[in-house]
Amino acid sequence: MKTVVQCEVNGEPREALVDPRDTLLQLLRDRLGLTGTKEGCSNGNCGSCTVLMAGAPVCACLVLAGEAEGAHITTIEGVADGNDLHPVQAALIQHGGTQCGFCTPGIVLSAVALLAETPQPTSGQIRHAIAGNICRCTGYDKIVTAIAAAAAEMQAGARQ
Amino acid sequence: MIVDLKHIGEMCSVVRTPDKGWRIGAAVSVRQLGANGDLARDYPGLIEAAQLIGSLQVQSRATLGGNLCNGAPSADAVPLMMSIEARVEIAGTRGRRMVNIESLPVAPGKVALTPDELLVAVLLPPRPARSAARYLRFTPRREMDIAIAGSGVAVRLGAAGEIAHARITLASVAPVPLRATKAEARLIGERPTAALLAEAARIAAGEAKPISDTRASADYRRELVAVLTRRALDACVAEAGVGGSKP
Amino acid sequence: MSDQAVIPLRVVGQRLPRVDAGERVTGRAIYPADLVRPGTLVGSIKRSPHGHAVIKSVDTTKALALKGVKAVVTGADFPEIVPGTIIPFGETGADLWVSALIVMARGKVLWVGQPVAAVAAVDEHVAAEALSLIEITYDVLPAVASIEAAMAKGACVLHPQHTTKGFEPGAAIPPNIGSRTLLERGDAELALTQSAATASIAVKVYTGHQGYIEPHACVAEADPQGNVTLWASSQGAHQTEIQTAGILGLPQSKLKVVPLELGGGFGGKITVHLEPVAARLAQISGRPVKMVMSRAEILAGGSGPPAAAQVSVEVGAEADGRLKAIAGRYVFDTGGIPGTPTTLLMQASAACYQTETLRLEGMDVVTSKPRTEAYRGPGGIQAAFAVEQAMDELAIKLGMDAVAFRQRNAAVTGSLMPAGTPFPSIGLTTILERVAAHASWRDPLPPGKHPRGRGLALGYWRGTSMTSAAQLTVAGDGRVMVTMGTVDISGTRTTMAQVAAEEMGLSIDDVHVATGDTKSSAYSDAAAGSRVGRTMAAAVVDACRDALGQLKGRAAERLQAPEVDVTYDRGVFRAGGNGGTAASITLGELMRQTLTDGAIIGRGVSTKLPFGVEVGAHVVDVEVDPETGQVTVLRYTAFQDVGRALNPTAVEGQMQGSVVQGLGWALTEAIDYDADGKVRNASLLDFRLPTALDVPPIDCVIIETPVPGVPYGLRGVGEMPIVPVAGAVANAVRRAIGVRVTNMPMTPERVLAALKNKAGNPA
Ligand SMILES: Cc1cc2nc3c(=O)[nH]c(=O)nc-3n(C[C@H](O)[C@H](O)[C@H](O)COP(=O)(O)OP(=O)(O)OC[C@H]3O[C@@H](n4cnc5c(N)ncnc54)[C@H](O)[C@@H]3O)c2cc1C
Repeated sequence: MKTVVQCEVNGEPREALVDPRDTLLQLLRDRLGLTGTKEGCSNGNCGSCTVLMAGAPVCACLVLAGEAEGAHITTIEGVADGNDLHPVQAALIQHGGTQCGFCTPGIVLSAVALLAETPQPTSGQIRHAIAGNICRCTGYDKIVTAIAAAAAEMQAGARQ
Repeated sequence: MIVDLKHIGEMCSVVRTPDKGWRIGAAVSVRQLGANGDLARDYPGLIEAAQLIGSLQVQSRATLGGNLCNGAPSADAVPLMMSIEARVEIAGTRGRRMVNIESLPVAPGKVALTPDELLVAVLLPPRPARSAARYLRFTPRREMDIAIAGSGVAVRLGAAGEIAHARITLASVAPVPLRATKAEARLIGERPTAALLAEAARIAAGEAKPISDTRASADYRRELVAVLTRRALDACVAEAGVGGSKP
Repeated sequence: MSDQAVIPLRVVGQRLPRVDAGERVTGRAIYPADLVRPGTLVGSIKRSPHGHAVIKSVDTTKALALKGVKAVVTGADFPEIVPGTIIPFGETGADLWVSALIVMARGKVLWVGQPVAAVAAVDEHVAAEALSLIEITYDVLPAVASIEAAMAKGACVLHPQHTTKGFEPGAAIPPNIGSRTLLERGDAELALTQSAATASIAVKVYTGHQGYIEPHACVAEADPQGNVTLWASSQGAHQTEIQTAGILGLPQSKLKVVPLELGGGFGGKITVHLEPVAARLAQISGRPVKMVMSRAEILAGGSGPPAAAQVSVEVGAEADGRLKAIAGRYVFDTGGIPGTPTTLLMQASAACYQTETLRLEGMDVVTSKPRTEAYRGPGGIQAAFAVEQAMDELAIKLGMDAVAFRQRNAAVTGSLMPAGTPFPSIGLTTILERVAAHASWRDPLPPGKHPRGRGLALGYWRGTSMTSAAQLTVAGDGRVMVTMGTVDISGTRTTMAQVAAEEMGLSIDDVHVATGDTKSSAYSDAAAGSRVGRTMAAAVVDACRDALGQLKGRAAERLQAPEVDVTYDRGVFRAGGNGGTAASITLGELMRQTLTDGAIIGRGVSTKLPFGVEVGAHVVDVEVDPETGQVTVLRYTAFQDVGRALNPTAVEGQMQGSVVQGLGWALTEAIDYDADGKVRNASLLDFRLPTALDVPPIDCVIIETPVPGVPYGLRGVGEMPIVPVAGAVANAVRRAIGVRVTNMPMTPERVLAALKNKAGNPA
C-alpha cells in the first residue's frame, strides 16, 4: 500500500506517494525529479547516490523512501546557491576533478560533509571521506587536490 | 511490515552503566558511536572495528544491532564484542531477556531471536585494568570490502605480567563468529612471549573451519587467521602492558 | 601543418577547465537514465541462465496478458543477420552479426546473461513480474567457460559452422579457436638458443571489466510515421545508429541517435546492447521506452568485458644486453562469439623493443562467456603483463639496470615495428632519459615495515585514425559553433573549443562546441582507439580554415581589396597586410553586416591521418606484506609522450585514470566465472574497483615529441597509460620479494602463494 512521505529536501518541504519497496533514491529521482543523484549499483557499493540526511552522507539506494519521513535531505541540486557554486564544486571544475561526471554529485556531497566536520583535512582524510565513492575516470588525484583547494578556500573565506 | 527502529529513544542512546560498563542502543549508528569519546577511550577496538563497516555512507546507517542481527559470519563488530563478553538485551511480547552475545548467531543470516523479539541494546562490561581488545580483519581493498578473515582478541594481564584472561573470536571462517577456545587456553597463565602468541595464533588457525568461495580459499583464510590473531594479540598485549586501562 | 608547432599558441596547450564541468558538478548533466519523456515505459531483459543451451521454445503469452505490459520481444522480432554482415566501422568494418547476438540470442544461448526476451511495462515492478512469466525451455549443452576448457581435447564446440583461419595446412587445430595470427621475423627459436641469457614467463590473466560507473541506459521513442529517436550514452552516436538500424532492419533515415552524456565507456559502450531492444519495444508499444541495466546485469553477461588471456613469452639477449629474440604466444578469450583481434595487442606488447628476431603467435578462443569487448588499449595490459616481466627478468639475469636495459634496446624512429614496418617518429629514448634522471627512479626507496620494491615497465599503443567530421558555423556576432560527429568521452568539447579558438584567433568563450546527433552531424567513427583528440582536431582545423577562406572573401568585398591582400589575425581582417593604416573589419562586424548574405559553414573531415603512436614508461614503488600477500602501491609516476598536450589537465586526467584502472585489474579486479559460466561476484562489493584509499597520487611527466603531418603534432593519449601498469607492479613485486606473480589480478592470496612456492622450491 502506498503512503505519503513528507520531508524537507534542499530546504524545501516536499511530499510524495511512495511504495513501501521504494528507496529514497527512487523517491528523489522518479517522484521528485531530482535526477542529479545517480544510480550506479543499487547496493551501496559505489556512492553515486550519496545524499546527506541530517548532514550525514548516506547512499540513497540503501534508505527506504519511508524512512525519509520528517528527514532533512540535501541532494546535489541543493549544494549550490543558484549558480553560486559551493567551493567544492568550483574547485572540482578548476582542478579537473570531474570527467564523465557520473560520480561527481556523490563526490561533492561526501566532500561537503567532510568539510563541515573537518575544515582542514589531510589528504588521507580526504581519501577516506571519498572512499565510498568510486570514480573510474580520474584516478582520484585531481579530486583530492580539488577538495584540498576547496578547504583552503573556505578557510581563507572564514578568516576574512 | 517494516518497522523503523531509529526513533525509539532507548535504542538510540549510548550510556554508561552504574557498574562503569556501557549500554549501547541497538539502533545507534556507527557514525554516532564514533563520536562518543569516553566509549572510544574504553573500547577503542570496538570503534575501530565498527568503522571498518562499508564506507562512511554505510556507517551513517549501520548499527551494532544490525551488524549482529544480520547474522553474517563476516560481521566486523561482532568478534570483538564476543571477546569482551558483551551481553545483549532483547525485548519481546513476553518481556525482556538478557543473553550472552555469543548465543545469538546460530547460522549464516540467522540469530536466536523469535519473530516477536527485538534487540534493544548491547551491554559492554566495564573495562578491566591491564586489558585491551582489538579486532583485525583482512580485505583486498582498504574499504568497501568484506572480511576474508578477521580476529577479535581481548586480553587481560595479571599482576606478574602473565596472561590472566584471553578471548579470541574469529570472523569469516565458520558459519558464525567462532571462539578459538584452544588457543585461548594455551595463553592463560603464560607469559606473553612472541613465540607463545604466534603459537596460540597457529592453534586458532587450526580451530577455524573456513570454506572456499569467491572471496578466498579455505587455506588462505586459515593462514590469515594465524597472522591476524598473532598481530591482534601482539597489539593487545602491548596496550594492556602499558596500563591498558583507566582506573 | 607541421609548422604549427613553432607558432606560439595562445589557447592550445593551456590548462583550461572543462567547458561542460559546471553542469557536471551541479548534477544537471543529463544521462539517458535521467531523461523523462511523457508516458515512458520501463524496458527489462530476460537473460539466459545457462552458459550454453539451445532455445527450444519461448512462450510470452502469459507475460503479454499481464496488466501493464505493453510489449514483449524475442529473437523472432528481429531480422536474421548472418555472420560476415560487414558494416562500416574504422579501417576494417565490423561484423553486425556480433552486435546482433549481443543484443538478442537466436536459436542458442552462448553465455549466462545473454538476452533471450524483453518486455516493456508501466513500471519496474510489473516489468519484473512479466519477465518471470516468460516461459523458456532450453536444451542445456556443455559449457566451456575458460580458455583451458574450450581448448581441451574433445571440448564441446560452440560454433560448429565456424572455420578457423590462420593455421598452416594440416596443423592440429584445438577446438574453439576463432583464428590465429603470426608475426614473424627471422628465426626466433634459433636466436634464443644462441642468446647469452634468456628469460621466460607464462601468465594467466582473468576477465576484468571496464567498470564505467554509469550503467548502460537508453531511451527510445517511435513516432506514428515510423521515425525512431534513440537517446543513448554511447561512444559513438553514428556507430549506434548503424548497428541499431541494421539490427532492426530500419533505414538510417528513420533513426536518429541523440548522444546524451556518457558516464564512462572505456571501450565497453561502442557495441550496442540495449538500444535495438528499446527501439523495437518502442515501435511495438508506441510509447517511449527507457532501459537501464542493473550492475548485476552488467557484470553477469549484460556487457562485454575485456578478455581473459594466457600469454607465454621468452626473450633472449647477448651478454651486452642487445635483444636477440622475442617469442610469444598470446591466447585470448573472445567469449561466446569469435573474432577478437590479437594482432594489435601482440604488436603493442613488443613494440617498444628493437629485436633481431621475433615470433608472436596469437589466437582468440571461443568460450561460454560474454563476448569480450574493447577496454582501453584492448589486450595491451594483458600482453604487457607477460612481456614486461620477461624483459625485467632478462635485465636481472644480465645484471643490468632496468632502465639501461630498455635504453639498450629501445625502439627509435625508423626502427622496425613488430609487423615489419618502420616506426614513425617516436620519443621513447627521450622518455627513458627522463626516467633515468627522475627522482621517482633515482631516489632510494625508503625502508618500510615490509619489503619494498621499485618496478619499471614500458607501454605502447597505436593511436588509430579512422575518420572524424566537424562543421563550423559563424553566428551573427562573429562567435563560432562547432558541431562534432563524435561524442565527448575525454573532454573533447573543451579541447576542440581550444583548437577552434586557436585557429579562429578567438578566445575559448567565443566558441561553442556541440556533440551532434546523427541527423545534425556527419559520420565520424567512435570515440575509441585514442583517436578523437587528434583526428577531430584535424577536422576542426580544416573546418576553421574552410570557414576563414569564405570569410576572407566577404571581408575582401567589404574592404574593397583583392582577397589575396586580406589577412586575418585574432578576430580582425585587414586589407594590405598588418600595417596600421590599412582598412580593417572585425569578424563580429563582418558577420553583423553579412549574416543575411548567407550562412558560413566550414567543413572539416579528417581521414587516414598518420597514426598517433603513444609510448610511455611507468615507475612504481610497492610494499608487500609477506604474511598476507597484500601489495600496497606507495608511489606511481607515469611518463608519456603525447606529441603535444592540447590541455595538460585533460592529459593528466587520462593518464591518472588509466593508471588507476590498470592498478585495479593488476591487483583486485576479476570476474569470477564458475565452470558453467555463472558469475559468482556480480556486484561492486566483490568486483573490487580501487577506492581512493587503495591508490597513491599518480604523478605525470608529459613529454612532447610532435608527429609530423598531424595538427600540433598530436599523438594518442588515452589508452597507452593502462598498458604498462600490471607489468610495472609485477616487476616492483619481484624486486620486493624475489618472486614473480604470474596470475593477474595479483590478489593477496596469489602473491602469498607465489611466496610459498618460492620457499618450497628455492631457486
Ligand atoms: C555496501 C555495504 C558494505 C558493508 N560492509 C560491511 C563491512 O565491511 N563489515 C560488516 O560487518 N558489515 C558490512 N555490511 C553489512 C553491515 O553489517 C550492515 O550494513 C550493518 O551493520 C547493519 O546495520 P543496520 O542497522 O543497517 O541493519 P539492517 O541492515 O537494517 O538490518 C540487518 C538485519 O538485522 C535485523 N535487525 C536490525 N536491527 C535489529 C534489532 N535491533 N533487532 C532485531 N533485528 C534487527 C534487520 O531486520 C535485518 O534483518 C555492509 C553492507 C553494505 C550495504
